[in-house]
Amino acid sequence: MAELVCMTVFESDPEERAVLENVAAMLEEFEKQRGNLIPILQAIQDKHSYLCGGAMEMVANHLDVALGEVYGVATFYNQFRFHPPGRHQIKVCLGTACHVAGGDIILENFERKLGIKDGETTPDREYSVERVACVGCCALAPVAVINDTVEGHIKPSRVEGIFVQFQVEREREEREEAERESSE
Amino acid sequence: MNKDDLTERFASILRRADRRARERRNEAIPTIYIVMSTCGLASGAAETKQAFEEALSDKDIGARIVPVGCLGHCYAEPLVVIDHPATGFPPICYHQVTVARARRLVRSYLEKGDPVFEYVLGALEENDLIPAVTDFARFNLEQRLVMEHCGRIDPDDIYQYIAAGGYSGLVKALCLEPEELIDEIETSGLRGRGGAGFPAGRKWRLASTAKADGKIIICNGDEGDPGAYMDRTILESNPHQLLEGLAICAYAVGADQAIVYVRAEYPLAVKTIKGAIKSAEGVALLGSTILGTTFSLNVSVFQGSGAFVCGEETALIQSIEGKRGMPQHRPPYPVEKGLWGRPTVVNNVKTLSSVPPIIKNGTEWFRGSGTETSPGTAIFSVVGNVKHPGLVEIAMGTSLRTLIFDVCGGIPNKKSFKAVQIGGPSGGCLPESFLDTPIDFDSLTQAGAMMGSGGMVVMDEDSCMVDVARYFIDFTQKESCGKCTFCRIGTRHLLNILDRITNGEGSEQDLELLGTLSEDIKLGSLCGLGETAPNPVLTSLRYFLDEYEAHIKENRCPAHKCRALTAFYIDLEKCARGCEVCVGCCPVEAIFTTRGRKKAIDQKLCVKCGECAVVCPPEYDAVLKVSPPELAPTLERTPDGK
Amino acid sequence: MVKLIVDGKEIKADEGRSVLQSCIENGMFIPNMCFIKKRQHPPASCRLCFVEIDGFDPPVTSCTEEVREGLVIRTDTAAVRRLQRTAFKLLMSAHHCEPKHCPVKGNCQLIRIAKHLNVGLTPKPLELLERDVEEEVDFAFFTYYPFRCVLCGKCVYICRQINGHNLLTFANRGFDTVIAFFGSGDPARFPCHRCGACASICPTGALVRKPECKRASGVTP
Repeated sequence: MAELVCMTVFESDPEERAVLENVAAMLEEFEKQRGNLIPILQAIQDKHSYLCGGAMEMVANHLDVALGEVYGVATFYNQFRFHPPGRHQIKVCLGTACHVAGGDIILENFERKLGIKDGETTPDREYSVERVACVGCCALAPVAVINDTVEGHIKPSRVEGIFVQFQVEREREEREEAERESSE
Repeated sequence: MNKDDLTERFASILRRADRRARERRNEAIPTIYIVMSTCGLASGAAETKQAFEEALSDKDIGARIVPVGCLGHCYAEPLVVIDHPATGFPPICYHQVTVARARRLVRSYLEKGDPVFEYVLGALEENDLIPAVTDFARFNLEQRLVMEHCGRIDPDDIYQYIAAGGYSGLVKALCLEPEELIDEIETSGLRGRGGAGFPAGRKWRLASTAKADGKIIICNGDEGDPGAYMDRTILESNPHQLLEGLAICAYAVGADQAIVYVRAEYPLAVKTIKGAIKSAEGVALLGSTILGTTFSLNVSVFQGSGAFVCGEETALIQSIEGKRGMPQHRPPYPVEKGLWGRPTVVNNVKTLSSVPPIIKNGTEWFRGSGTETSPGTAIFSVVGNVKHPGLVEIAMGTSLRTLIFDVCGGIPNKKSFKAVQIGGPSGGCLPESFLDTPIDFDSLTQAGAMMGSGGMVVMDEDSCMVDVARYFIDFTQKESCGKCTFCRIGTRHLLNILDRITNGEGSEQDLELLGTLSEDIKLGSLCGLGETAPNPVLTSLRYFLDEYEAHIKENRCPAHKCRALTAFYIDLEKCARGCEVCVGCCPVEAIFTTRGRKKAIDQKLCVKCGECAVVCPPEYDAVLKVSPPELAPTLERTPDGK
Repeated sequence: MVKLIVDGKEIKADEGRSVLQSCIENGMFIPNMCFIKKRQHPPASCRLCFVEIDGFDPPVTSCTEEVREGLVIRTDTAAVRRLQRTAFKLLMSAHHCEPKHCPVKGNCQLIRIAKHLNVGLTPKPLELLERDVEEEVDFAFFTYYPFRCVLCGKCVYICRQINGHNLLTFANRGFDTVIAFFGSGDPARFPCHRCGACASICPTGALVRKPECKRASGVTP
């Protein structure tokens, strides 16, 4: 959730500066029309996975609207995020069919496992958990979307399995990394 | 407009489509159709496809793999149809084709000609060898007017749609005067499939008579109803039928711009429809001077950013304009003053997809299905506790009983039916006594539910109606735009009251307040979202009052669903000495060993996820669930944990 | 000019006017919070100005109804009062009324409505709602008190009218909706230190100018 900012000086750490440079290039491709506001925000988030204050200010300048208006629109829609999500994004579907099939229990298991609430990211920025209204795979309820893969008929015990999978993956990556380094 | 020239141009496209179809058939190699829509992919269709490809190349078998859209049989995903003409079998539909099954099918059927009967769902044509799918109620009670081609054609290949008769409706329409076209839709009696059922013909006429330039058509694919995915399926499986309907509508009302509004949560649908627009423009079926006529239509895609309220047409328009999606007071209606102040027709995906078959086959044909006031078919996504969940297209007027018990196979696991929720957050829950209600706009509204967008969730005896009402209010409360008092604050009060009741803290005064406040919200809200938001509460109060009373007066949840009012315990008589399955699966380590190496649950730690009840081997079945929670015997953990 | 009958009394009104404005101009009070004279498209968001019009079944909001010759209107039927009282109580369940600290002196629209509807200032039987927001938010030139705000939106509208840009905006959604002020850079860039229209139009004391800004401007907007 966006804070009720006032008179912010947007920090410009190197990471954000790089983002802003890219945003400037992206904005070139959009005509200066108010109707482009949402497509622009979507494009920025697609690329950088969240909207930072500086980027929104650039959008406001590009479209010649007040910064407040950009914030007003961005905070209205579920899609937009204002903090970087985790490297692994976990979305738990809480559509009707998933609710009836116990989707809330799945969400709770993720939350408990990671020690964060929905909408939050772990401090190491490895995982984030959010609830989504419906991903439209109701016949497979309960459903969770792990990164971009839809997992159907997910069970509470599967939650554990998913993390084991990530763990194995990370260890393999680290091993490969180490092997590459040692071979060089 | 020169009709001969127009038909000649289309005829040449059609010849090309037919030639391509013929060439495919003449190759005489097997074709493997794999359902690759979102639910198929979620069930592993991509792995299945890869397995087929690998197995085919291992065995060096020539076969064509065609990704197709959804057939609607989600319970059987990943679904594969194999057409192997050399064997003499008709095309055969296989269910749950996992990687292993895919390899087996290549080995046995494609290589050796044995169709592997144990994986067969049915043959797509009547024959003497294999039972046809039409022998099953799930297939033969359906009537596919709109979804006829879904799952049968490659959505990314425009020629397959054209070869199946596509775009001929547009050609026919372009040969008529716009006025005649609107008459045609009006006589067909087509009603908007987005929820309220406003006559499509009347909407078109209002827009066509509006005196203004630059009219706009918007296809509303902002399917926000949690539990419905018909629009997604049509967009993914047969985007061209929608585009054809869109073009016919634009021609009828005199629009030159169209926008397809799709939820960003449906990435595959967005990709498919964008590709379809491009390929239709490539053969002059969309874009400027369509088929050489003076009619042009520029179609673009707008991605909705995730706000349920944007399904409401004025809010949808606000969001395309780049604003907060807040509904506006009507009048003015969008048909007079809509997007950018221009006359705008907003029609649902299913409504527009119904148009081409109506134009092609005539209004008589359309009125041949359905009822007098609701002609045609209804598309539902039937999910929840049914044996065969998925998408179903049935004639309007079919009873709920037929749909749930005959088409979808009834309730699994020998449970009994409790309620069916129709119309999502705007609809209501109907009990068993309403199962003979015919499915049409007016009957459902009269019963207190609503056709809505077509989401249908079937619930068995384990579903708590208070919890379901709470779920929907929680949803609408979160999705309220926050503009008007009744919806913004009123739904929050409803949620708080329902929270109290499901937590066993409700009072009788709460129950009364719930009813009166719901009625006021219905009357006082600004837009359709608020007006219909209390429906799930009002219907459950009407039909399941006893459940509310059990929660309030007895601290008991009859369905054993509300977690604050239930408890799990392990029956020591049944528990097996030394079995540790439940201990291992408990996420909070609430299960401990008690006397005789049997297990018990620490009620203070238990989060009531129910996983122990699931994993307890059926021969013991020792984990029991009770409500109110006091019924569970308490066993204290001894200090040393034994 | 058209003639219409309100509560049995004939009044005259300019064509194109809303029923609400016509009644107010004829000295007849109808409860309202979000209505602003001359505003082209009324937001119709406070849901207080219900009336019954002959020929329409359920009550309608009078701010969205244009006057027509011969309209027969009732402003005090049981159905109208029920909706108005519920709407008012809903607002009061989110507006924390603290007479001791309230900057609105004497002329409180909420008190006027309560008297008109013959109800108290408490939300009973509804509970007073809590919100997950800070009690005071610093808007540089103003202080914003979310718990007083009824989201009538007058400040957002007037800011746009005067400055051409929305310096104030609605942010978030649903029950979490608040008024927000976003800005960056040099405060002198903003017209707020001499404008203050938003605070003047706020009917609930939710937006209050900071004392130092008041001194600097010297003009009453």
